[in-house]
Amino acid sequence: MKKILLMSVSMLTALVISGAVMASPEEDRAIFQKYFKERFPAVPTEEFANGVYSIDPVGRENWEAIEEFPPYETFIDAGQEMWEKPFANGKTYKDCFPDGPAIAGKYPHWDKKKGSVITLPMALNACLKANGEKPLKYKKGPINNILSYIAYESRGQVTNVVIPKDDPRAMEAYEMGKKFYFTKRGQLNFSCANCHLQNAGMRLRTEILSPALGHTTHFPVYRSKWGTVGSLHRRFTGCNKQVRAKPFKAHGEEYRNLEYFLTYQSNGLELNGPGARK
Amino acid sequence: MTISKRRLVTATGLLITTLSTSLLAPSIAFSAEEGSAVAEGKSLAFSRKKGNCLACHMMGDGQSPGNIAPPLIAMKARYPDKAKLRAQIWDATAMNPDSPMPPFGKHQVISESELDKIVEYVWTL
Amino acid sequence: MQKTKYLGILVLATILIGGIGCATAGSEKSAAMKTEMTADGAKQAIAAAKAAQKKAASVSGEWRDTGKIIKAAEKALKEGDVKTAIKLANKARVQGERGYEQMMAQKDLRLPAYFK
Repeated sequence: MKKILLMSVSMLTALVISGAVMASPEEDRAIFQKYFKERFPAVPTEEFANGVYSIDPVGRENWEAIEEFPPYETFIDAGQEMWEKPFANGKTYKDCFPDGPAIAGKYPHWDKKKGSVITLPMALNACLKANGEKPLKYKKGPINNILSYIAYESRGQVTNVVIPKDDPRAMEAYEMGKKFYFTKRGQLNFSCANCHLQNAGMRLRTEILSPALGHTTHFPVYRSKWGTVGSLHRRFTGCNKQVRAKPFKAHGEEYRNLEYFLTYQSNGLELNGPGARK
Repeated sequence: MTISKRRLVTATGLLITTLSTSLLAPSIAFSAEEGSAVAEGKSLAFSRKKGNCLACHMMGDGQSPGNIAPPLIAMKARYPDKAKLRAQIWDATAMNPDSPMPPFGKHQVISESELDKIVEYVWTL
Repeated sequence: MQKTKYLGILVLATILIGGIGCATAGSEKSAAMKTEMTADGAKQAIAAAKAAQKKAASVSGEWRDTGKIIKAAEKALKEGDVKTAIKLANKARVQGERGYEQMMAQKDLRLPAYFK
């Protein structure tokens, strides 16, 4: 009896200690949001959904002019066609996503059965495969059309990533995403945090570094540099290349956990994709 | 140093310069000429593929510098010991693990001899 | 200033006379010098580079250009340019080693001081 008591006391102590060392996602998000509040006291939190333009008044003017004739419009239309066009078996995306097309706010989420973070592009490809269709390429091409359409239809939804408490693997995925975010990598030895947290708002030559808060709200984005619409994971790839690290697979474990961590920090911000960026 | 000794050294220097130009890569020959090391260091520091210092630092007459890192001014006062300046560019994270500055030497973004020249230039600022 | 200049020349002279011909003798360079300047030496250097690249990748620490540099080394070897092949292979190997060390040094998540 005494032994059991002793054991349970020591187990409880261990639990308390580990809890104290590892910050909870809620605590992380509080630090994240407080960090940007202190760094940009004049910018209301909800403004960060506008990305770099929340903190760059000059860039914002150009952006607002661009938004009058949005360069992503044709992509939305093409995406709507994809959404409505029946597969060879007569079914459509709607059969996979009964709540669709406004479903962006449900992603990324933890899938207990698969034991993995599921991103929207992964869910779209799973739907295609289940219906005997060829999955879409993740980074370039038509996937960005349907993502544009879904993002547009989902405007106004609020970022609300959940890390379920009943599956420790979800927390593990979150922690892996967090580790990725703070790990310096590549020949140039930059972490995501170095640029978009530590130096958000500073100028790299003439470019203003965008804040991490709100990074995920507006994807996919039409980038003038790309001349087309591209996804969040394409952007991750570009960032990793810039620091001279070998990029990881789009929607592979590294990037989907990163998306899970990063999107969680923007919980409460409105979705406003597709966006337009330089 | 007496004049004759000086002449001897200069003569040796000339000989060595000629020799080294023919034997070694031109980059090493330059180390005999401080002036050109500074000029070469400047172009390495400004080059986007090499130092790309202007991405973050205001320095000299470089156009559109970033403001992520401190302006490079009064470098001799800030780094009386040139070796410390070199060590800082070689790997700034050794002094401060949170420094976002790339470890230019440690990660071989630039070669050791290129680093020497950049140090020569930065020290003039 | 003048004195250091002459001193520099003298050092250079000593190095030249000593026949080393290499002003900075880092550990990589000494390793490079051990490699035989033959096709077999180049093959070994390329194999070592690939092993280092793989080791870095195993901890998600591979750098962007390592693979490209190895390919360039292989091309140089094919064209009979053993010296370039070895030089490039050694460069790629060091990248792999540094990338691995970089990740090992960050094995445990250390939150930066600014994240508080």
